Amino acid sequence: MSGLVGQGVARVDGRAKVTGAARYAADNEVTGVLHGFLVMSTIARGEVVEIDTRAALAHPGVVAVYTHTDMPKLTLPNFPYNRPFIPMQDTRVHHNGQPVAYVLAQTLEQAQEAANLVKIRYRAEDAVTRLADALDEAFLPIKFRNRPNETARGDAAAALEQAEVRIDQTYGSPMQHHNPIEPHTTTAVWEGGTLILYESTQGVILARKAVSDAFRMRPDQVRIISPYLGGGFGAKGPTYPHTLLTAAAAQLAGRPVKLVLSRAQMYTSNGHRAEYRHHIRLGATRQGVLTAIADTSTAQVTRIDENVYNGSDSTLHLYACPNVHVRQLGVRLDLPTSSYMRSPETTAHLGLETAMDELSYELGIDPVELRVRNHNGVNPRTGDPYAGKYLLECYRAAAEAFGWARRKPGPGTTRDGDEYVGWGMATETHTYGWIESEVGLTIGLDGRATLRAATQEIGTGTYTVLTQVAADGLGMPLDHVTTLLGDTTYPPASLSAGSSTMPSVVGPASQAARSARDAVIALAVADPRSPLYGVPAEDVVIEAGRLFARGDRGRRDSYRDLMARHGRLVEVRGSGANTPGHSFGAVFVEVRIQPRLGRLRVSRVVTAHDLGRVLNHRTARGQVIGGVTWGIGFAVMEHTMVDPNTARVVNPNLSTYLVPVCADTPSVEALFVDRPDPDSTALNARGFGETPGTGVPAAIGNAIYHAIGRRLREVPFTQDKLL
Amino acid sequence: MRAFGYTVAGSPVEAVRIAARTANSTFVAGGTDLLNLMRDGAETHDHLIDVNQLDIGEVAVDRRRLRVGALARMRHVAEHPGVRREFPVLSEALLASASPQVRNMASIGGNLLQRTRCGYFRDSASPCNKRVPGSGCPAITGHNRGHAILGGSDHCIATQPSDLAVALTALDATVHLIGPGGARAVPIADFYLLPGSTPDRETAMRPDELITWVDVPRTALAGQSRYLKLRDRATFEFAVVSVAAALRTRGRVVQDVRLAFGGVGTRPWRDTRVEAALRGLPLTGQAIAEAGRLLVRDAEPYEENRFKVELVQRALVSILSDLGGLR
Repeated sequence: MSGLVGQGVARVDGRAKVTGAARYAADNEVTGVLHGFLVMSTIARGEVVEIDTRAALAHPGVVAVYTHTDMPKLTLPNFPYNRPFIPMQDTRVHHNGQPVAYVLAQTLEQAQEAANLVKIRYRAEDAVTRLADALDEAFLPIKFRNRPNETARGDAAAALEQAEVRIDQTYGSPMQHHNPIEPHTTTAVWEGGTLILYESTQGVILARKAVSDAFRMRPDQVRIISPYLGGGFGAKGPTYPHTLLTAAAAQLAGRPVKLVLSRAQMYTSNGHRAEYRHHIRLGATRQGVLTAIADTSTAQVTRIDENVYNGSDSTLHLYACPNVHVRQLGVRLDLPTSSYMRSPETTAHLGLETAMDELSYELGIDPVELRVRNHNGVNPRTGDPYAGKYLLECYRAAAEAFGWARRKPGPGTTRDGDEYVGWGMATETHTYGWIESEVGLTIGLDGRATLRAATQEIGTGTYTVLTQVAADGLGMPLDHVTTLLGDTTYPPASLSAGSSTMPSVVGPASQAARSARDAVIALAVADPRSPLYGVPAEDVVIEAGRLFARGDRGRRDSYRDLMARHGRLVEVRGSGANTPGHSFGAVFVEVRIQPRLGRLRVSRVVTAHDLGRVLNHRTARGQVIGGVTWGIGFAVMEHTMVDPNTARVVNPNLSTYLVPVCADTPSVEALFVDRPDPDSTALNARGFGETPGTGVPAAIGNAIYHAIGRRLREVPFTQDKLL
Repeated sequence: MRAFGYTVAGSPVEAVRIAARTANSTFVAGGTDLLNLMRDGAETHDHLIDVNQLDIGEVAVDRRRLRVGALARMRHVAEHPGVRREFPVLSEALLASASPQVRNMASIGGNLLQRTRCGYFRDSASPCNKRVPGSGCPAITGHNRGHAILGGSDHCIATQPSDLAVALTALDATVHLIGPGGARAVPIADFYLLPGSTPDRETAMRPDELITWVDVPRTALAGQSRYLKLRDRATFEFAVVSVAAALRTRGRVVQDVRLAFGGVGTRPWRDTRVEAALRGLPLTGQAIAEAGRLLVRDAEPYEENRFKVELVQRALVSILSDLGGLR
């Protein structure tokens, strides 16, 4: 081992990204390509009665305008396809901003303008668009992806009845959108019976399944290429209609087609975080031991499906409470299907971690101490004690770095100039997945290695960490290893979602590297031309690409020399199982509030996280900064506004959908426990990326309460709520 | 965006002449707002007349006034030493606007003519009386957090988003225009129109007129001015509420005061009754509170912007307390 794993190695793809050498999906120049643009519905519910395409077809450069009458019949795919219907297969309109026609032109500008010229007559039906108007119709949806929407242990109702202290409150968060910098894009090229898609997707393998199912093709007839993503945050995890429609348009036109969604179209085309209401009841003893949690959430679903994406996972596993009842209800609205959005548990976590804070004040127990008293040491999945859970260490380390011991407990007790200062904290946690993955590793005749896996670089550092892992296992310098990702011709590997990539792919990458290393050593010791000929394989050491005999460093060979002599590639595969699990952390926040104007700023953030072994401190820290920034946006500004009458998104752009800028975001002190998790086969690292941020909205709300004694239970915590 | 023609004009007179003879044309300077409006379909033009070559970009302060050429860039004006010293409210309003990149590009004339951020106006598929007269105003019953509580009508409650316009309104600026009928000057108080039943008419400008420069009288009052902007994120965002204020006191008595408000009115909002209520009185919390109540006496808030009634009064207290040295 060369010790590369764990180092804060700079991004191996950093230079390519900042110089523009990295080719994102829409950067591919395809000969003969036509530009597509979608025409979107302007009603929320009803039928398309008539589509007049004459003016659009007469526009310069326009090649075709397809409607439902032109589209080939497609088969509705299951997951990862995110919609319960394929648009343009019939006249039905299920939400505002649904594709109803597809324009093809020589240039993007021509296609856009022609799309404006398509005239559509609808028969509109009454639409229900506001969660608040339909709460009476909340229902328990069916299982989604095998996950139940009702879970219980013990008897929460009885325990609440008997509890010495109770908290009973409702929390809420609005619709939010992912807004990756890179818009969704698809370029579809048919070559004979094969379809090639240059696609912005977090999962080439799953996207291939959706596309091949829709077109009733074999998976090997579809190739999906996605080497770089300009952010995804869940928006590019599932497959969406525009991908299928673009492939169909290219088929109809007999030419390649490139589609890039406009920013505004991305507010109805690729899911969102559903509007969410959360009723939480806690029961506890006077000593602060939780005896009951009753957790009922209500999220927006649609008239035609009932997928719930924002689960109350943390309620089930975060605290050792014997009586828990979770219900995840849905309300049917005429809106697009929602989806996963970075750290889906944040919505539920806001309620749970705010309720815990409320309980701490009710009991007069420090919020950290309350959480320590309810710490859960048992892995709910196995029923056994966690082998390596260091959440208690996170509380301790972050509290110490923050200076929590100096906190005056009462609300409104700390002033600095004309500002009130508030300190708040929350627990962070995220459930990560494991997705069966394979990795291919080739040692070339130049003695350098190439790792291939059909997982993706979503922006988090996948290229870098897999290169580190492979180089470390091979005993090569970092720059002798090239990692190739995002192509279905590579061995199938993890979706870049749910913080699953590292737990799924690191084990196989490490195994492949060790196999290749062993294979090369076997070649060396069996090669009469090698100075290592005859040395027992276990006595060969590899460092920085050179092979030595242990104890006799004069006997040496190298990957380069050996492979040149060998004259044939060494090719291996790596695989291996892991288990899903949880990462943990604690976040401490300071806010400052100018009471006359209600002006709030987040002035300090300290985090400590337990993610098992830290594979790369730099990329891990990047995830913390990103997650905290998301948490600040969630807490104080982000919300999508939907017009109550038309169900059109009123703020579908980055000018009016606010996300934090640098001035909203203090520097983050990010601490890591960095102790190996013996249960993880990913070099004892766990899935992490979506953990930071989960507690930030609650921590900010808790700090606001500490600052001015006002309890806010609905994000965003805007100025008007602080007056 | 629809294809459009493009001509570079060499002088103001030429620009206006081209405009007058070219149907459905408009002027473009920095383009930071216009191009977005055209992309979104909120405005359509067949022809753009580029005025960036015109020699009207000067910023000059003399004994009587500040003269800002319409083509001066926001950044240039904000950083001008004379502006910072003698007209701090202008510099502060500009620096509180947009982002450094936008301020490098955007012109003063374009800033004054930027269109409302109302989401319904900017969505070409929504009704909007400002964009399509007679089509209706969804903001009144829909999302109106960013909308006006003063000066609205049944037809429109959109705000004018320029911070600079608010500051210029407080300082009694004059807007100079050139058009097919010659040159003229319009006091800023008359420049922006109330929406009434014609919200598509936003300014007193006549067809094919071009802003050439803006004059601001140099007074002792202007030298003691500030801009306070409240918004939903720390920077790069329009005002929820803003106040431009200039104050001169002797002892504690208010000698003179100018106040204009952004984010609350359908145009940069000035109410001289509020100023009159303070003039000649000792500057006290109570006096300011009285003035604030006068300001919002006729306010018509909607579901999401009700808080502005309170917030604008607090903003007034805050800025006058700072300017007057009250704590």
